Amino acid sequence: MQLLLPEMVLVTGIILSILVPNLGDAKFRIPLTRTRLPLLIGGARFKATSDPRVPAWISMFALTIALVYSYLEIGSTSGEVGGVIEITSFSRMMSLVFYASLLLTAVATTYRMPSRPSTRVPTEKDSEKITTVLISRLMDNRRQVDFHILLMMVGLGMSLMAMANNLFFMFVAIELASLAAYVLVAFHKEEATGGEAGAKYFIVGSVASATGIYGMSLVYLWAGNLDFDTLAVAWSSMDGLDPFAVVGVGLMLVAFGFKVSAAPFHLAAPDAYAGASSPVAGMLATASKAMGFVAIFRVLIGVAMPSEGEAIWFCLLAIIAVITMTWGNLAALTSENPKRMLAYSSVAHAGYMLAAIAAIGSGLGDENTTKLVLIAIVFHLTILVLFKLGAFLVLSLLETEGRSHRLEDLHGMARRDPLVAGSMFIFMLSLAGVPPLSGFLSKLLMINGIVNISAGSGSESVTAILPWVESVDIVFWLALAIVLNSAISIFYYLRLCLVMFFEEPENAKPLRKAVHLRNSILVLALLTVLFGFGSGAEYLLDLVDTAVSSL
Amino acid sequence: MGEHKQEWDRLLYIVPFLFVVPYLYSTGAHSTDYAWIIIAAPLVFFAVIAIAGQIWNGNETWVNQLKEGGVLGLGALGMSLSAALWMIYEYLDHHGHIEVGEPWSWLTFDVLTYDSEGWSIAATGFHGIGFGIYLDSLSIMLLFVATFLCFLICWFAIGYMTTDSINDNSNHRFFAEFVLFSMGMFGMVLADNFLWLFIFWEIMGLCSYLLIGFYYWKESAAYAAKKAFLTTRVGDVFLMIGLLMLYDIYGSLDFAVVFDDPSTGVGGAVVEAAALQTALLMLFIGAVGKSAQFPLHVWLPDAMEGPTPVSALIHAATMVNAGLYLVARMVPFVDVGHHGVAGMEDLGLIVAWIGGITAFMAASIAFVQNDIKKVLAYSTMSQLAYIFTGLGAALWFFNTGNHHAGALVFGGALFHLFNHAMAKGMLFMASGSVIHEVHHAHDHLSHDGEHHDFDPQDMRNMGGLASKLPVTAIAMMFGSMSIIGIPLIGGFWSKEVIISKTWYAYFHGGEALLGPAILLLATAGMTGFYMSRMWFMTFAGEPKHELVDHVHETTPWIKTPLVILSIITAIGGFGLALYGAIDWLSGESTHLSMHGHTLIDQIVHELEHAFLPEDLQLRYVGWVTISLSFVLGPIMAARIYGGSLRNGEKATPLVHWLTSLSGKFGSQNVDGLANSQLAEALQNRLYFDDLYEGVLARTIVPFANFAAWFDKNVIDGVIKQIESNSVFGSVQIRRITTGSARDYILMAAVGALCIFALIWGVGA
Repeated sequence: MQLLLPEMVLVTGIILSILVPNLGDAKFRIPLTRTRLPLLIGGARFKATSDPRVPAWISMFALTIALVYSYLEIGSTSGEVGGVIEITSFSRMMSLVFYASLLLTAVATTYRMPSRPSTRVPTEKDSEKITTVLISRLMDNRRQVDFHILLMMVGLGMSLMAMANNLFFMFVAIELASLAAYVLVAFHKEEATGGEAGAKYFIVGSVASATGIYGMSLVYLWAGNLDFDTLAVAWSSMDGLDPFAVVGVGLMLVAFGFKVSAAPFHLAAPDAYAGASSPVAGMLATASKAMGFVAIFRVLIGVAMPSEGEAIWFCLLAIIAVITMTWGNLAALTSENPKRMLAYSSVAHAGYMLAAIAAIGSGLGDENTTKLVLIAIVFHLTILVLFKLGAFLVLSLLETEGRSHRLEDLHGMARRDPLVAGSMFIFMLSLAGVPPLSGFLSKLLMINGIVNISAGSGSESVTAILPWVESVDIVFWLALAIVLNSAISIFYYLRLCLVMFFEEPENAKPLRKAVHLRNSILVLALLTVLFGFGSGAEYLLDLVDTAVSSL
Repeated sequence: MGEHKQEWDRLLYIVPFLFVVPYLYSTGAHSTDYAWIIIAAPLVFFAVIAIAGQIWNGNETWVNQLKEGGVLGLGALGMSLSAALWMIYEYLDHHGHIEVGEPWSWLTFDVLTYDSEGWSIAATGFHGIGFGIYLDSLSIMLLFVATFLCFLICWFAIGYMTTDSINDNSNHRFFAEFVLFSMGMFGMVLADNFLWLFIFWEIMGLCSYLLIGFYYWKESAAYAAKKAFLTTRVGDVFLMIGLLMLYDIYGSLDFAVVFDDPSTGVGGAVVEAAALQTALLMLFIGAVGKSAQFPLHVWLPDAMEGPTPVSALIHAATMVNAGLYLVARMVPFVDVGHHGVAGMEDLGLIVAWIGGITAFMAASIAFVQNDIKKVLAYSTMSQLAYIFTGLGAALWFFNTGNHHAGALVFGGALFHLFNHAMAKGMLFMASGSVIHEVHHAHDHLSHDGEHHDFDPQDMRNMGGLASKLPVTAIAMMFGSMSIIGIPLIGGFWSKEVIISKTWYAYFHGGEALLGPAILLLATAGMTGFYMSRMWFMTFAGEPKHELVDHVHETTPWIKTPLVILSIITAIGGFGLALYGAIDWLSGESTHLSMHGHTLIDQIVHELEHAFLPEDLQLRYVGWVTISLSFVLGPIMAARIYGGSLRNGEKATPLVHWLTSLSGKFGSQNVDGLANSQLAEALQNRLYFDDLYEGVLARTIVPFANFAAWFDKNVIDGVIKQIESNSVFGSVQIRRITTGSARDYILMAAVGALCIFALIWGVGA
């Protein structure tokens, strides 16, 4: 049980968030006597426990403990629980990523959906305006519990998913996280976009899930077991290619493709990001995406990878990767809504990582280069929490004023809050991959890995460029695609920075005071720089190295 | 007037800076371990001043207490100066035997690689570029000149810049750039590597551009900055080619490696004289650009557009020495007695000829200048040319095997560098004082702003200032004497050596050096004329403008450096000559001391050596020089421009004799001469600027226009095309995102089908 301590903490957190706000002074009179036993549930609620801020505290506390524990256990834990859960350094590394992302979401939400203990029920004497304000505050207060329960549920699902040792269990965990996430997207139901986005995301997501589950059933038909170990053995001992296995994996790719928002399954993602509140969108872009990649690792590299030679999905994934990154970057180019722009940028980043996975699938690499690429991807997923989520947090800071869906809202940020604008600048540069920021390092590692894998393929004796170009393996062009796409992407990242620094703000007031959120943004910016070079980068790479070694 | 207080209390701010080095000294540390302070202090305070100046722009404390960063800059330069003095002291104390420590390594190009062992650093065999310090008498002398002058100039600038209303709240820019400039100069002098020398050289080039263009809103200043930058760039390109050639020959640019045995190249190959000579000539072209010698001299007079006269001063008194330093560093290559490469006499001859031509040309143009700063600028060119000629003669001597004569003229040239830097630094400060006070007097007079075209630098508006500006007049007198070479004062001791040794070279086999020798001799007399002319026009005679009556010497911070430098100029040259500075500078002796003589003995010895050399030919040369520069030039100047002060005006006794004396030679009208064609040509700087502009307009400008067209239409066109295509694609692709969940599912279904088809196809 100790192995699952972070998850237990989250479960406890969920139960506490249900119970604590409902504690009251209700008493039960033992029949025929005068003795009254305190029942605690029901009756008039205690003042301390009915504070609307309690759920947020519980969830932040639980997530912090889970985060710290996961971090401490990365190097040491391993073990199995109940046959379907296997805890490794890798799963702990991923839960670190998930919890970090969720914790930041929780922090940002305290300002996006403020809870005010002082709010009272409106009376008849109140004017209409005050009544609306009071009602919206009451609504915020009442929704605190729901939001944080769902948030912890997402964390629980994701974390279990990373530990899953069994395909079926992994799907259940993914659905646990996804269903909670759909609700979070639609959480602000009073806003038209929120409800619509949630519905769309849910519909497309469930179609994708259904396809994936269908694929899973095909795989079950083929192997008769859904344990990853058995599947891997069955795959490598497969004589020729079994249609059930191949089609099953292909259909599962649809479900995972939706999770990582790969083209053409990404279409609902920009709508969802734009409709959801910014912290939730940030969570989708980091934690949810990392979850999809873990699933892809498990299925494509863990199971459907032949011991030598090209994997069956190599060509497919390479095409998807190139389409994804190009589509993402092109669409982001003319997006006037910063949230949509970040959503498309997130699609593009998924494309880069898929390209790296495709390079592994080419079967050209040896053990070292494969590991290098895996390290690059996990490293990228980890630091995305810093700068992708950081960018969403900045938007969420703007959103506390009710606006972050137009580029104009970012105008003159540098004048309103230079530090936050500077942080956003760092986030954008890191997304674009500018040295010495961590976004550069991960991109460098990824391209380096891909080129390394393709290194053996070009003929060495050729000195002229053209014959070499003809002889080099297709994998090499994936690296080139990443480079070209990065060049396009710089345009829209820098455009955002441009308006922050050189346009007149529409509203010259300082930004709303949001101490913890602002501090989180600044810390994220600092970490984005620190993990980009020197000992900071080395430390994180070592951590990722440990995690990937256990995969 | 008199609104400026002396503000000595501001100096309290720099006291903490000055305590750092004494503290380190008291811990028993070695000065060379802390040599980095000399460079780091200005570099750090460049950033501090630049940033703080933006943040606290206009802040009361910043402006009045810290003088917009000037006091901080002075502190940083004081720190550099104290660290430099410490090192100089140790160097002299140990007679040159001083440990300099391991160079700090830069650019080692390690590669991060991943293999089965994990992450590791793979070395590439390129051991990076070390940065260490290189100390010999040459760098020690220049280090003193640079740190000492930069400190005094900064001191002077605080008074000069902050009392000018035109500089409102932008002085931090000046001080930041100035401090960075100083960093470049210190670094260049200390560097133990040609590459670092070049890097600091370029930093100086950048700062000089920024400082000349300090008043960037003035078209003339912006033009002058551009001109200086581009002209020196021509030299710098050659310099870089030269460095690459040196690297090609020796496989390294470290002084330690290159100077160890210049006759052996990389891998033990024998160095060919022709290749090395070409490389050194390339370096020399770089030096010509930096030191404003013919034919790359055109930028220096225009550089006087910088903040009067401080940036002019760093250009004229400090930066231009960089070129001389570079040429002086060439000696080990040519010194055939010490592994030098024989057969490079031409190098010395070219250097000497360029020097001789520049000396004569600049001096003749200086005849007709009326702008006090321009006279000094041309004088700078002319004096630097003396040093170049001296160095050229030295290179020739070294290469022909006459080591003793070479060392003597080499030391003399470097000694002249020292004397000239001190004197010219002071002259520029004094001219700044004159201009500043005249300008203030003019502001005082014309509240209604009548005299818009008034030029405070024009000497035709001055005259008779000796009684108004006593300290300035004394300083200017000593400075001019030193430049002219009045016997016993400053530059006399070094200029004599250069001229006589150039003639000596002619008498002993260097027939090709006759030209430079004659030109130098003629220039000596011309120097006597134009320097005296400047002094007499400014300080002697009757006032030529009503405002002279309102001139007072009031600006704070200005007098102290003048007094200090006056003393050094007046007696420093003689004093150092007594201590054998020339032998020490040339490396002939490691001791800066009188060799066992008593003071009287030594004085007699030196005087005998200067006035009655054993070689009869040189005796004639010496006396001709003295009579030209000391007698003929000044007397002619006095006849034309001199005159006693107005009745009742009384200057301090130190200069009064001179004004009175200048009136005794009668007066001569030179209007006829002033209107001659020769004078007009000189006024137009011998048409060099016109020539260059004409050539540029016909060659470079059309090419630049073509390049601009190419850039705009071809390169930008391609990029614009990519951009518009991307945007078009973006718009198209966004059409697919309809916003309807039905379409999304359709797309997903199509995707699933494609996956199905692809994976089936591969499988089958």
